[in-house]
Amino acid sequence: MEPLTTPSGTPMSSRWIEAHGRQSTIITSIFARAGFEPIAPPVIQPADLFLDLIGEDLRARTYVFTDPDGAELCLRPDLTIPTTRLYLDRFGDTGQPARLSYNGVVFRYQRGGGSLARPREFTQAGIESFAPENPEQAEAEILALSAESIRAAGLRAFTFRAGDLGIFEALLGAIDMPDRWRTQLRHHFWHHAAFRRQLQKLMKPEEFGRALAEPLFQAIEAARRGSIRHGDAVVDLERHLEAQGLAVSGTRTLDEIAWQLEGLAADLKSPPLDPRAALLLDAYIKLSTPARAATDGIRALLKGTSIDIEPALIRFEERLRLAAQEGIDIADAPFSGGFGRQFEYYTGFVFEILSPLLGEEAPLAGGGRYDRLLEAVGARQPFAAVGSAIHTDRLLLAVRGGRP
Amino acid sequence: MSEATTEKLILAVPSKGRLMEETANLLARGGLKLARAGNERGYRGEVQGLAGVEVAFVSASEIADLLRKGEVHLGVTGEDLVRDLIPDAETEVEFLRPLGFGHADVVVAVPDFWIDVSTMSDLEEAALLYRRRHGARMRVATKYRTLTRMFFAGHRYGGEPRAVDTVTMYRIVESLGATEGAPAAGLAELIVDITSTGSTLKANGLRILDDGVILKSQANLVLGKRAPWSEAQLALKDDILRCLEKSGTD
Repeated sequence: MEPLTTPSGTPMSSRWIEAHGRQSTIITSIFARAGFEPIAPPVIQPADLFLDLIGEDLRARTYVFTDPDGAELCLRPDLTIPTTRLYLDRFGDTGQPARLSYNGVVFRYQRGGGSLARPREFTQAGIESFAPENPEQAEAEILALSAESIRAAGLRAFTFRAGDLGIFEALLGAIDMPDRWRTQLRHHFWHHAAFRRQLQKLMKPEEFGRALAEPLFQAIEAARRGSIRHGDAVVDLERHLEAQGLAVSGTRTLDEIAWQLEGLAADLKSPPLDPRAALLLDAYIKLSTPARAATDGIRALLKGTSIDIEPALIRFEERLRLAAQEGIDIADAPFSGGFGRQFEYYTGFVFEILSPLLGEEAPLAGGGRYDRLLEAVGARQPFAAVGSAIHTDRLLLAVRGGRP
Repeated sequence: MSEATTEKLILAVPSKGRLMEETANLLARGGLKLARAGNERGYRGEVQGLAGVEVAFVSASEIADLLRKGEVHLGVTGEDLVRDLIPDAETEVEFLRPLGFGHADVVVAVPDFWIDVSTMSDLEEAALLYRRRHGARMRVATKYRTLTRMFFAGHRYGGEPRAVDTVTMYRIVESLGATEGAPAAGLAELIVDITSTGSTLKANGLRILDDGVILKSQANLVLGKRAPWSEAQLALKDDILRCLEKSGTD
């Protein structure tokens, strides 16, 4: 007989529902014992915020709608962002450490309506630690609690994978290039093909330069060098557009256009990105090694260069040590330089927990460090934050050996 | 429904306008006549000279949906409409033959005074700054949600796979008519729309990006893979294709 499933892919046998309930109790009591306060953020969330902060893949899979007041809303595709908003509502910019947990449903479109491993509505049980006093310790603890929960739910065989956007950030900061290029590369981290293409461009900025009409080019150049005010270049731009008969309309301002032109002009004048630096960034993104060999692998890549990112590498080693202290050995877990999960809010250590049954494409749990998210949802400054969520329907499926 | 009816091949044809006329002309040149059943406004018809084909006259935009669901065997409709409705079109339908009419390019167009933006890569950069300045994403007005999303994410229709620029910092606002007026009206910053000569874009102060042609579309004869196909129906499909060959399109 075909297993009974809801149209969303979630099984609906009473046995499954009971087992899922028991599993939830086990997991939430582990979270509570560790001092995480349970919260229940709203299911309906403002669409714009999510569309900005999640990656392209999830963006296309978020259920977005307009309500009768004309507000653009969505069904939450994730609980980290709603939890972060709730923290901000409660604590604002105080930097008050807080440990919050949730056990609630999230929604993600799946082609053809979803399946058991990829239901379009499913439960996430998660923990988030905001402004922890020792962020690396918090990372190790959250990793350990996630693993403990999975084990307590009855799964013995599971593995980890890891990455660290902090190392990427350190590398980017240590290589000589205009800040503008760093912003572009950071933005492209989650799209490897686009990242590589951006590197190629930066090695040959002149090929991507823009020819500008002479008087305007002079003004833009002067503004870029700082010999005239930016505002004066905007006046020149306005004059140029008028002479060309180009009407100005809409919300994008001449000021923005002038900034972009100055950036393009700067690219023409900048020395190209050193091909060795480009190779290095590319090699880091491609790096794939057991976690314990990751830092030495990176040191080997840096050999013979003047680039020093020791603090970031030592932090990573410290993290492995702290995790081991918590009883989690991730030294053999595969580390990938280009691994950033599919959420663009991560800024540091990231991990996923995998089962042999469901594989890499359907992780049981995932999480990491996201130090810029609080600022992105409205805090006036960044605060450290780290969290993890368990896909409890997948977990139960793995525990039951794939039986619904 | 009788046995005889279920064995018929159902061909969906646009119910009015130039697409309908061009389809009729094309078949006529190959020796087949498209005829409506009953009066002029009937929604059912036949192909005279090819017994066993039932014609369904429906709006061009609905034909893609009928093909996807397998409710018709064949349909005449624009590649743009099919690809926008069905993200991985090749798994659900087969493009049997371009028909040489209904040409239209689906393009990305921005206000002409954005002299800093001539490529998709420029657009992404401008969009990053726009997001920081306005606290909101640039809005793209379009009726082509899927084509826009796929193209901006780096998918290219036709041709070899190659490295391309992606644009992520945007959001789509649905536009069901007069899309080219959306930027001037303050409803969107840029558009994705069809153009045949480019004159409407120009009149609205818009310019196509250098690498902003998403799809060069035209009317196609399209096969729905989910429709029930019998030997007889497959033979009828070949008859129609032969007729189109005879009428000399390609």
